[in-house]
Amino acid sequence: MTIASPRIHEVPDDLLAAIDYCYDQGWTDGLPVVPPVVDRVKAMLAADSRPADTVIAHHPATGLDLSLHAAAVNAVMAGCLPDYFPVLVAAFEAMDKPEFNFHGSTASTGGSAPLLIVSGPCADEIGMNADVNLFGPGNRANATIGRAVRLILRNVFQMLPGISDKSTQGNPGKYSFCIAERSRGNPWPLLCEAQGYPKGTSSVTVYAGGGFCNVENHGGNTPEQILGSVADAMANYGCITLGQAVVILAPEHMQIVAGAGWTREQAQAFLFTQAKRSVEGMKGVGKYRDREYDTQHGTGAHALAERDFMHRGLTPDDILITMGGGDAGGHSCFIPSWSRGRGSIMQHGAIRAPQ
Amino acid sequence: MQLYSPLSTTPKRKLFRAPALGKIDGLRIGVLENGKLNAEEMLNEVAALFVQRHGCTVRSLASKTNASAPAPANTLVKVAQEVDFLITGLGD
Repeated sequence: MTIASPRIHEVPDDLLAAIDYCYDQGWTDGLPVVPPVVDRVKAMLAADSRPADTVIAHHPATGLDLSLHAAAVNAVMAGCLPDYFPVLVAAFEAMDKPEFNFHGSTASTGGSAPLLIVSGPCADEIGMNADVNLFGPGNRANATIGRAVRLILRNVFQMLPGISDKSTQGNPGKYSFCIAERSRGNPWPLLCEAQGYPKGTSSVTVYAGGGFCNVENHGGNTPEQILGSVADAMANYGCITLGQAVVILAPEHMQIVAGAGWTREQAQAFLFTQAKRSVEGMKGVGKYRDREYDTQHGTGAHALAERDFMHRGLTPDDILITMGGGDAGGHSCFIPSWSRGRGSIMQHGAIRAPQ
Repeated sequence: MQLYSPLSTTPKRKLFRAPALGKIDGLRIGVLENGKLNAEEMLNEVAALFVQRHGCTVRSLASKTNASAPAPANTLVKVAQEVDFLITGLGD
């Protein structure tokens, strides 16, 4: 499809008036934006060598396209530096895969927000935070990359709250939901390595996250105790579905789990086994459905799927686990997926080296 | 000061409604349910009203495996050959 030239708005040479102009145009997430002046947009675009009209994502419901140019405009507005742009581009290239279903996940009453997890050397190179206050506030890269995602969903794809975004209660992550995986002291292969990217290549994982659940455990001293707490959060009646899961272990918890010799795969298998509810219990709260049970226990069911129970997800691989956060504190988190079923499957993509 | 618009530059798609049916008496109905709780039950109730009031016949039940994604094109093509109109809705 042919893409028209980007429209230019002439506004008075007054910064505060330009910020107000952006509000008046309906271009913001409720917070002030950096006015997308031409020079800054061009500087942002210079971080990607492809033509500015290159389409990097397509909205399946509206037919709207995201070009590099439109991504750059919104990145400027969010407060991104050009060094951050390759992460934003890679995130939308990953979300463009049909399995992510970013229309459904951003339009739904479920109110998810795309969580970005940046893995590999890029995170340190652009100054992302993987440490204290992992989910914010305080770090420009984390905050503005996540915010740029929201502005693109709003401005380019027209996912407007109350109109096309019908989230029942919203989600604080809809302002920004972007973290870096902590590589310092991480005993397990980084996500980018586990995803099979060549050494030195960073990746971004995108996941339609339905919120944030803190998992506090300061008394547990074994992997079973720590991960048992996590599994309980994953299986609470409000959250349990056939969907995937993201678990970010605090360094204290990771030391206990990996210090006992557990691998990521062992932890995934333990969580899948333990994060479950009985069929009777699911019926008791009105959430049991035959077709969901059959999906989990029918042909091709995983060997760890226990009869007469509903587990979270379909296989242990549905649970992404890594480490993040500050050194002190027994606070990990579980982030539930959007949708009751398999409406969105997490995706990942390589982050291009800066141009 | 010059600001770039942050909106998509994709030309707006031309959308149009299908022409209204001249009559519905005796027509063939298709039901497209989206897999949500109670969707099939609700849509079958609606279809039953057309059967009762207009002598329609229910010829086809199609399902989506993902409620929030568009129905696959091959599903729509197949159903279109079998029915005169299609009933769909959210359920829940």
